[in-house]
Amino acid sequence: MKSPPSVQRTLRIVVVNTAHGAGEQAMAAQAQRNTALRIGLLESGYDIVASLPADIFLPERIAQIQPDMIIIDSESDALDVLEHIVIATRDEPRPIVLFTDDQDRSSMDAAIDAGVSAYIVAGLQAERVKPVLDVALARFRRERRLLDELSDTRRQLADRKLVERAKGLLMAKSGLSEDQAYQKLRSMAMNRKLKLAELAQRVLDVEDLL
Amino acid sequence: MTSSFRTIRAGFMPLTDCAPLVMASVLGLDEKYGVKLALSREHSWSGMRDRLVHGSLDVAHVLYGLLYGVEMGIGSRAVPMAVLMNLSRNGQAITLSRALAEQGVIDGPSLAAHMRRSRRRFTFAHTFPTGNHAMFLYYWLAAAGIDPLRDIQAVTVPPGQMASSLVAGHIDGFCAGEPWSARAVLDGAGVTAATSQDIWPDHPGKALGATAAFADANPDACRALVAALLEAGRWIDASAAHRDAAAEILASPAYVNADRELIGARLHGRYEDGLGRCWRDPDPLQFHADGAANFPWLSDGMWFMTQHRRWGLLREDPDYLAVAARVNRVALYREAALLAGVAAPAGLLRSSVLIDGRIWNGRDPQAYISSFAHGAPRPVFGHGAPQ
Repeated sequence: MKSPPSVQRTLRIVVVNTAHGAGEQAMAAQAQRNTALRIGLLESGYDIVASLPADIFLPERIAQIQPDMIIIDSESDALDVLEHIVIATRDEPRPIVLFTDDQDRSSMDAAIDAGVSAYIVAGLQAERVKPVLDVALARFRRERRLLDELSDTRRQLADRKLVERAKGLLMAKSGLSEDQAYQKLRSMAMNRKLKLAELAQRVLDVEDLL
Repeated sequence: MTSSFRTIRAGFMPLTDCAPLVMASVLGLDEKYGVKLALSREHSWSGMRDRLVHGSLDVAHVLYGLLYGVEMGIGSRAVPMAVLMNLSRNGQAITLSRALAEQGVIDGPSLAAHMRRSRRRFTFAHTFPTGNHAMFLYYWLAAAGIDPLRDIQAVTVPPGQMASSLVAGHIDGFCAGEPWSARAVLDGAGVTAATSQDIWPDHPGKALGATAAFADANPDACRALVAALLEAGRWIDASAAHRDAAAEILASPAYVNADRELIGARLHGRYEDGLGRCWRDPDPLQFHADGAANFPWLSDGMWFMTQHRRWGLLREDPDYLAVAARVNRVALYREAALLAGVAAPAGLLRSSVLIDGRIWNGRDPQAYISSFAHGAPRPVFGHGAPQ
């Protein structure tokens, strides 16, 4: 693995500690996993900015800290609390990495395919943690870029359709030519400091009302 | 003898309404129809969703709303899903803190009045952002004139922590399933302000969910499983003695891991609200009701989508009917019902009246959404700044 360039800032990671388990044994196992994970991360040069309990204040704390990555045990019931954060911040999402006892390589691939950014196998030798996290983050960033491009393209197409419809409406109602209708929409949008598509939407909304 | 039974890995959450899956397994109803249930106790809805989507689970006892959230890609990748049947109806609840009850807050209107006089922020919990409990909670708040997006803070809390969060004062109320709602009342932590059947009598509950890929590739196994679960639901609903037996089995650490009496009371429809009121509910938690509880009505799936749209979880209107028509596997359900000797209704849409008097019948979802006073902001023509 090539090492990151020195100008790249270190990933800021939050580890979520889950206290709940089926019993003493489960809690002890989780605690062990957590410790191994934290050692692995520290040795790999990651910045654990906080180790938070999975309680009701987790979303607020995450919002305050703004980590690059959140790591949590896949057996934790706090995954649902994290889901809340995922949805609340879905315009600025962060990869969520699970770690688990599952040793199966194919299920790790399947999990990544399914949109879970990475799986880390329990045992968590230090040298395993960094590459997996790097893959998770790289993959996540690439997906986000593709999704953003896709949604930009879609939005542009939708906006163009709105403007076309509004133009058509003006032409029909006011007897304007296509160019005149377009100019009218444009100048109205500029006067009201709206985007052309927003104005077009309003014109169409009025048409629906009347 | 070699078994030719098809194994179906089924995830469930430790809630009273996982009963049909548990009883189908315990009573051997799965084998009667030629399948073998491998039950998997899950820890979180997110975890269960991930396992279902990436194939570690074949089917699951899943929040109806969550399943449609996955279909529409809310907060996760959109994955085509399938509702094979509805597993239960009714039997969830909204519980308010004892601290509030002692100040006279015992229902929606008294909560709204109290909040208007108060300066602090109120916090309410549900179990999953796109799930049934969130949608029922928001509906109930809005019906009382409280805007769930602006007037309160909504949080997701694991059900096992609901009661302690109430006592600690971290939340003012929560909406969740059983036995957690009954537990909060029994512990003296809260009072029952409303049951889910108060909000929508005979609402859909947990669905038997799968990925569309699984349902498409395994129609025989799915049909057999639905038939087995219809029989299991019929068995549970058949008598008080059967419900008692179910409560005893569900109490086991392998399933719900809670006190048998705690599970049993509301399973029988016996409610205490913590304020001295006890009653026998006419619309309790039911798993079959002669088939009326199980049909995968398209209008049920559509209702969750309208609420997702209402609260801005969906940013655009989907083709509500078309989505529900592909997700809810009505044809497969009808075949399974035939196998199990269960009557199935002829239509696809049903009509319901909810707590605010509004009728939802699956027709004109966009008009339905527009009819609500409370919802996420939508583009609106008007003078002044855009929304």
